[in-house]
Amino acid sequence: MSSVAADLTQVRAAAELLGFALARRARPVEGGEYRALLDRYRSELAFKDVVDTMAEGLGLEVLGVPRSGLVLAPEPGGAFATRLADLRTTMDADDRLVFGLVLVGIAAYAYPTDADFDDPETRLVEIVRVDEFIRASLDALGGLGGVEGSPEERARVAAQVYADLPQLITTQTGRRARGCTLKAVEEVFGWLVEQGAAREATTLGADTFHLTDRFRLLVADSAGGAALDALREARARENRAEVGT
Amino acid sequence: MTGAYGGVISPAADASARDRWRALALTDPVSRLVRNAAHAGIDDADYDLRLLALAAVDVVVGSMGFAREATLDDLVDELTGLASRMCPGRPDQARDAAQTVVRGLLNDAHDQRRFSYRFADLGAPGAAVRWEAYSFRLLSLREAEYGPVVVASDQAVTLFLNGLDVDLEDADRALAHVLQRQLDDRRFDAAARTAAQAERTSVGMSATLAELLDATRRDVGSHDWEQEVPQRLARARRHVEARIGEDDRLLEHVQGGLDAETSPEVRAVSGRIVDLVGRARRVHLDLERRLVGAREVFLTAQVRQRLTRRRRLRMLALRDEVLLPVLALPRPAALDVATAFADRALGVTVPRLVRFDDMVDMLWAPPRARESAEPDVEVVPDVGDATQDVQRYPEPVVGAARQVLAAVTGGDEVRLSALLDGVPIAAADASTEEAEVAELVLLSALWAFAPDVAAEAEGDVAGEIDVLAGGIEARRDGRLLDRPDVGGPDLLVRLRGSGRVGEDAVPACEREPVA
Repeated sequence: MSSVAADLTQVRAAAELLGFALARRARPVEGGEYRALLDRYRSELAFKDVVDTMAEGLGLEVLGVPRSGLVLAPEPGGAFATRLADLRTTMDADDRLVFGLVLVGIAAYAYPTDADFDDPETRLVEIVRVDEFIRASLDALGGLGGVEGSPEERARVAAQVYADLPQLITTQTGRRARGCTLKAVEEVFGWLVEQGAAREATTLGADTFHLTDRFRLLVADSAGGAALDALREARARENRAEVGT
Repeated sequence: MTGAYGGVISPAADASARDRWRALALTDPVSRLVRNAAHAGIDDADYDLRLLALAAVDVVVGSMGFAREATLDDLVDELTGLASRMCPGRPDQARDAAQTVVRGLLNDAHDQRRFSYRFADLGAPGAAVRWEAYSFRLLSLREAEYGPVVVASDQAVTLFLNGLDVDLEDADRALAHVLQRQLDDRRFDAAARTAAQAERTSVGMSATLAELLDATRRDVGSHDWEQEVPQRLARARRHVEARIGEDDRLLEHVQGGLDAETSPEVRAVSGRIVDLVGRARRVHLDLERRLVGAREVFLTAQVRQRLTRRRRLRMLALRDEVLLPVLALPRPAALDVATAFADRALGVTVPRLVRFDDMVDMLWAPPRARESAEPDVEVVPDVGDATQDVQRYPEPVVGAARQVLAAVTGGDEVRLSALLDGVPIAAADASTEEAEVAELVLLSALWAFAPDVAAEAEGDVAGEIDVLAGGIEARRDGRLLDRPDVGGPDLLVRLRGSGRVGEDAVPACEREPVA
């Protein structure tokens, strides 16, 4: 952080850049205002500091500046945070769990190793493949004996929720009906598209999507860590509970 | 020195074996995609998929490093155009063929990983074999400001240039000499071919350099800027400067010949050569411009990437460290973890307040067009809304009516009277007003018999009837209803599309059942 006070024109430009980053449709095309500000962010340290600081104040964090634009991550609970629960109001806990698992599944399918987070290659993902990937993971869990405990305990684990759902139910018109996992994956992709984290790749066929750099950075630098922290916490709670009994 | 065959066959064969093996391996993905195309229903007899693959590489290499690189859509459109010319009889299949080719070149069958081959280095006779991995990509997708663009790897550029793994600068210079020589010998046809090859070489060189600079912009560490890259850039710069001068001389030479020449064939060929050399010259000029800025790209990238501290270590294998553990957790704990992940992975949402203007606009907006002709019969209407509109049928009534109408899902035609007979049972289940359920069933059947298209377009139809009747159709066969409360023809109701449609349809107004 530079100690020099920022001048107001700089502050204004920084705010404009954040405005562009928040507007999902804005693209930093050559010759545009957004592009000019983005280049300035990349090359001018003082400006970068102003933008980062301003973002911090708004409850945002700048994760990176790929070609497609500035990627922001919201602080949880902040004004710009997205909550899974808000995306559809008629979800019960199991629904939310399935959607959450699908999201983790999509990310794990697209970025299997940490090296993939640094690879700028855009991933193509398909609805059916994601579902198959998650189901294969369920099988891996069963095969490895990864779940301990009595049958009742096993029945309560998250894997069971997903495994209990049929892969496909169709409506009379042949589309996917709610209550199957393929529909859940489809819905999650719908949200990702809306959030600018994925894009439909209809030129390569139906049900095919690109994952954008935004999604890659969000998973790599925000969601992945958060999930690990939550996992640790859950395990600690479990241990405490065991000690307590 | 011993080569790949361990000096068994001949020193000459030995020395070049690895290079020739690579040239062979480079074309294998194309062969593979041709083989796999059969599974996608693309007949190799209808389409020249190899040519389409080459065209794909050409389109991509030709656009790299320019202001607007080829997007995935551009590429697929271009290939679709070519494919439809190969098989004009099947315009519906051309896009599939194009998609198959692009997917094949992206190695989509293996999650877009690199193509990987193993070379057996035999070494000296008697020595153990050494396996050498050769992995490469051909095309890959990158996100640009205007969407996903396709970029070609160095290997794809090689494929683009006759499949020969050569030093592009050497090739460029050699071709220029050959061209000069052919012109001096007045072998104009050969000269035109050489000029075309020279132009492709320049384009290929430009593409590899564009990729190098792009990689540097992303990650300074991707190439060795200490030693290798500066040398490469210096060499390229020297080369391009020399070539620009030579291009001018060559152009002048051909142009001079063109003015003096009288034979129309030679004039035509010379014109082509002028065109090609002119294009190569533009590429060289463009390359020079980029080379001049190359150092700057490096320095900016270095400053930026040095100073951007990586906030967190990305040591994370998502499947093993997150997905599998979460799946093994008890539900409540798993929900916490999944929610923590999802909330962050979904990124930023800009909160919006409901504004009066927007509300008015929304209310005045025409109803959204349905995606398909039939709505989903299974869709459960939101329970929340049902209570708000006093004119709607209560939820249990709709449910009971649906249960009654479900009798047609078997695919057979069911008489309206039979459906009405089922009402008391369904109504008792849901403990609702029998008359209301019967009315709804009757209205749905009537609607299926004679839908009010105009009212439907205006959204002026009670939602329940629309939903219930959307999936069914009805016809009459002359029999009349025999019920105390209803009169009119006894309709035959069936699932829409499950049989011949309305062969004996009569005008809807003629004699409808009357409740």
